[in-house]
Amino acid sequence: MANRTDPAAKSIRGTNPQNLVEKILRSKIYQHTYWKEQCFGLTAETLVDKAMELDHLGGTHGGNRKPTPFMCLVMKMLQIQPDKDIVVEFIKNEDYKYVRALGAFYLRLTGTDIDVYRYLEPLYNDYRKLRRKLADGKYTLTHVDEVIDELLTQDYSCDIALPRVKKRWTLENIGSLEPRKSALEDDFEEEEEKDEEDQLVAELEDEGHEKDYYRGRSPARERDRDRKRDSHRYRDRDYERDYDRDRGRGRDRDRDRDRDRDRERDRDRDRHRLREDKEYGRDREWEGRERDRRDRDRGRRRSPSRSRSRSRDRKDRDEERRKRHARSSASPRRRGDRPEDASTRDEPKKKKEKKEKKDDGTDHPDPEIAAANKLRASLGMKPLK
Amino acid sequence: MIEVVLNDWLGKKVKVKCNEDDTIGNLKKLVAAQTGTRADKIRIQKWYNTYKDHITLKDYEIHDGMGLELYYN
Repeated sequence: MANRTDPAAKSIRGTNPQNLVEKILRSKIYQHTYWKEQCFGLTAETLVDKAMELDHLGGTHGGNRKPTPFMCLVMKMLQIQPDKDIVVEFIKNEDYKYVRALGAFYLRLTGTDIDVYRYLEPLYNDYRKLRRKLADGKYTLTHVDEVIDELLTQDYSCDIALPRVKKRWTLENIGSLEPRKSALEDDFEEEEEKDEEDQLVAELEDEGHEKDYYRGRSPARERDRDRKRDSHRYRDRDYERDYDRDRGRGRDRDRDRDRDRDRERDRDRDRHRLREDKEYGRDREWEGRERDRRDRDRGRRRSPSRSRSRSRDRKDRDEERRKRHARSSASPRRRGDRPEDASTRDEPKKKKEKKEKKDDGTDHPDPEIAAANKLRASLGMKPLK
Repeated sequence: MIEVVLNDWLGKKVKVKCNEDDTIGNLKKLVAAQTGTRADKIRIQKWYNTYKDHITLKDYEIHDGMGLELYYN
């Protein structure tokens, strides 16, 4: 029978491999003409030829939910169960992006967790465009790395429920996988350094004071600390979130940097006062002369360490210092403003919350209707009338 | 607000509260939330007329208490 799985094939996740596709979708595929005509008697080699002819991805479409040829080929692969080497060859080939997508999809369905991460993550660097057929029959544009992201983070793709894989950080914790290294990491570091250099030059022109604090820290220590912190960053598999977070952090850092710049100026002035006490003015003159020159020379080299210290740390150090030294000031303007800002910020928020509740109807007296409204709100619908 | 009954004739009978100006697509989402199937796997019919997602219940003249058939894609 054409639809029977090869009896020599292994069972996947405890069941016939074809059962990875649900019953209804399976029957739809078996009744489809593409399956009946093209997929009869395919072997691994001839399957490659068919795969090269693919020109779109997709699940089912149309009113009666016809499967795409992509689906039929996935089903065929599940039926004949090619070796892992062949699947890896599908993924590694550079020429045909749909063959790559097909191999990736099959590996996601049938491979072990470690294999899935190991072979699919390099595909994040592939930015080629793919055509995807939607449920209403229209085509849309997507990219290889978007598809891979969907495979690794969602549990449903192309109308097939993807089997669960362990989270990446679990595998890292047990040591089976290395922490993820993004290809964009170097680019980010360069950008950060450039930003910090510009910042430094601007600050030096303003102040002309040295930041003694950073001299005390060894760049190696900073880098180690930040590498550990970075590994936390990449543990999260949702890369869009990562990019947003990095970008967000960059934005926050810019904002905080501006705020901190004023604070640092005050902080440095205070520290200089302290240092005078400690060193009895011994080195002051010498440093005053050397400071500027050294600063300008050091500026470039120091920026890697500076770029790593996050605004959060600076804020903590600020507060700590403020607690220890009563003399230290936040700029009076800031201190005066902040409590005011807090109160004014709260009020409009509260008003907004109250308004939202009324619109949602989630505070309806009848508990059933309130629950129904809550569900509707979560789905994005207006409340019941 | 109307209440619609959906029956899949295999033992699943679901009552859903909705507005008349909700679309069938929205109704499918509500049904999916209640039954646990995915919204895009659900098909709502009335005797060979498959109801389309973008049309409202009011336009299909679905009234309070009416029964619809629940099928799966």
